[in-house]
Amino acid sequence: MKDVNKKTGLARAKDIYDHRNKRARELKAEGKKIVGYFCCFPPVEIMTALDFLPIRLLGDMDEPITVADGYLPTVMCIFYRSTFDLGMKGRFNFIDGFIGSHACDAAERTSYIWSNYIKTPCNFFLDLPHVDKGEAVNYFKVQLNYLKETLEGLAGKKLGIEPLKEAISLHNKQRKLVRELYYLRKPDPPLINGSEVLQVIISIMMIPVEEGNELLQEVIDEVKTRRDIPDKKIGRLLIWGSLIDNIKFTDLIESSGLNIIVEDTATGTRPFWHDIEETEDPLVGVARHYLQEVKCPRTFAETDTSYREDLENRYSYLKDFAKYWKINGVFGNIIRNCDIHGYEVPAVKDYLESLGLPVLIIEQDYSTASLEPLRTRFQAFSETIG
Amino acid sequence: MKTENKKIKKKSGKTLQTAREAGYFAKKMLKNALQAQEEGRPIGWSMVTWWQGELIARAIGVELVFPENYGAFCAATGGAEKHLEISDSEGYPTTLCGYSRNSIGYAKLLSDNNFVPYEGAPGGGLAKPKFFLAAGVACDARYKWFQALKRYFTEAPVWTIDLPMPGTKEFFMKGNKELSLKYIVNHLKDYVAFLENLLGTKLDYDRLDENVDQAFKTLALAHEVDVLRRAVPSPMVGADFWSIMIPHLYLPDDPESYEFYEKVYAEVKQRVDNKIGAIPNEKYRLMFAELPPWHSLGFFGELAERFGMAIVIESWNYHAILPIPEEEFEGVTDPLEKVAMLTYYKWTEYNKVAVEYDVDPGFFMAAYFQFAKDYKTDGLLAHPLMSCRPATYTLLHTKNTLENKLKVPGVVIDGDIIDLRVFNEKEAFSKMEAFVETMDHYREERKKAGIAW
Repeated sequence: MKDVNKKTGLARAKDIYDHRNKRARELKAEGKKIVGYFCCFPPVEIMTALDFLPIRLLGDMDEPITVADGYLPTVMCIFYRSTFDLGMKGRFNFIDGFIGSHACDAAERTSYIWSNYIKTPCNFFLDLPHVDKGEAVNYFKVQLNYLKETLEGLAGKKLGIEPLKEAISLHNKQRKLVRELYYLRKPDPPLINGSEVLQVIISIMMIPVEEGNELLQEVIDEVKTRRDIPDKKIGRLLIWGSLIDNIKFTDLIESSGLNIIVEDTATGTRPFWHDIEETEDPLVGVARHYLQEVKCPRTFAETDTSYREDLENRYSYLKDFAKYWKINGVFGNIIRNCDIHGYEVPAVKDYLESLGLPVLIIEQDYSTASLEPLRTRFQAFSETIG
Repeated sequence: MKTENKKIKKKSGKTLQTAREAGYFAKKMLKNALQAQEEGRPIGWSMVTWWQGELIARAIGVELVFPENYGAFCAATGGAEKHLEISDSEGYPTTLCGYSRNSIGYAKLLSDNNFVPYEGAPGGGLAKPKFFLAAGVACDARYKWFQALKRYFTEAPVWTIDLPMPGTKEFFMKGNKELSLKYIVNHLKDYVAFLENLLGTKLDYDRLDENVDQAFKTLALAHEVDVLRRAVPSPMVGADFWSIMIPHLYLPDDPESYEFYEKVYAEVKQRVDNKIGAIPNEKYRLMFAELPPWHSLGFFGELAERFGMAIVIESWNYHAILPIPEEEFEGVTDPLEKVAMLTYYKWTEYNKVAVEYDVDPGFFMAAYFQFAKDYKTDGLLAHPLMSCRPATYTLLHTKNTLENKLKVPGVVIDGDIIDLRVFNEKEAFSKMEAFVETMDHYREERKKAGIAW
């Protein structure tokens, strides 16, 4: 019998977002093993294929950083300081495995330090080349194989090719559904606002892929037929840069005369924009995907002969985004001390401004307590678009 | 205990004559590049890639300069501020690496001046590059920075040399070392092809082999100097090291570097043999971690004078590689493979120590455990850097674990490599004064715990 009290669609996404570890804890109680991972690069397909629940380890903009002060210097990325702080406070004390990654300096060093202080039955550091050509893919595939072997140890079973292929298929389906959700933001006003999308994206990173796909389908069906669509605003905004994982931030932006339309971030398009190619050896496709198709400036793109060509090589996908979604302004979000995005600022501005797009760059402190002063900057930006 | 220098020079804190002469190498690199520009020879702006990229570039005839080293040079000579302001006005965040901000500002000026170094540029300035040699090892700035510089040198390509950086446990997984070396060698082959294509000339592998052998020889001698430094009292201090590191870090394949290290070795050995300390009345033996405040090096001289503190060993990553066992080279004839081994072994050389003490990472951290024992240290002076942040990410962790596992305490003095406003000398001295008591306390703790020094 259908549970009439069970939340569905956007309401369910909000519930999962608000209690983001709840489902993982429930499943843990039922005997499922949970694996927490850093950033977009540890392949969730391998975790899913071994019957683990992969969950993305995120920080908390509402939680003051206190314990981490004794371990990580204040000059480092505040997001990773926050994530580590939560780890030390026991927020993730239900995970059975920790997968760190060499996504950026902060992720890398925090991964090492995490494994010293926050003990789990299994941990692995996934090294990731900075270049994506030639032998790099093979090297990365070797590292993925070590990850697989480590997780097999935790699972107590070997991972066969077919279960991995099935998991790839399930996650590819999720990617397709996320893209479908994003396409619903093409109308003006969009059919779904930025905070709602963020709630959905965070949610699917915290629940089994099958449940995530079900949730996505519910949300898509609901949004397609909804009547209470977001208000039309002056700005149709592309967000580029460091991740956003708290709707207080997106609410603030969207209450300042801007509709968030697309997010090129680690909690936006980056993990979902390309499918994993089906290859005979599935790890080949997985390696290529994470190294070559997850668009993050942490992976070095070979430079071409001129600066303009270099920009085109690195950012042409942003032009495609802007064109498809009829973007008229870009917010470059930099979590303070994020070098990966910080070095990109003048170049990405050069590129986007050459397309006629105004760009607002803000370095912020990954704290909801310091958000409000940003409101006037977003309001002023929306006026420049108008 | 005898002392050679009754009064420490407050300006630099250097105590070795050879350290005072080492500035020759920094000037030589800048001068050679300017000369190469005049002669139409190719110039590369290079990161320290821990030798792999530099050895190959020089063997094919590229003159290299190091914007990192230039950053320190500008900071020490008061020329950095102007460059930093320009970087800020270009829109780069002020939180980025200070060296990179310095070179971004300089690059903008060079580009605006038709690629002729501006009048009064520190050291005559850096000559225009034909290409950039970036590095994937150590920190993100090492490739993001050069990628950013392309904005000012539109035709100069950027090549990023990568290096595997596995965790300690992962390093020891079966086959990982061999596969990593294979990756590096193939990656270096791609780099050689890039250089050959860019420069229209072929790499002379015999020359590379000679240069690699020379580099190993220089680095082995530089390591011998490190070994001499274990003596009590310490025959040289950190301020000496920061000068003498230039030849082995940047120019190990230059025979002049080897000749220089012969002189360094002789000078240090003479002190050791005669029990001459670098500072008068050495009372506390300190490790120093990360880069020093170049603009305030006199601070260390003051520490010696006021408290008898000697920096007896410092930041692992700038030191020569530990000797690689000869049997590891059995059957290795390809100079690219030797290069790969050199860099990979450097970055994994303390992984065994990391296992011994159950700490991670092996690089940036585990070396201090070995240093503490080998150099009989009383404490760690940790210097987190606002503008070289990734190098400081593991400092608190290192400090905590050294205290817990070896009863060697640490003190944190905030500072910077470029921006002198971050360094509060008065506050720093207060902290160091208090740290004396802490070190005394931990000496007793070590005794109680049966730790040897």
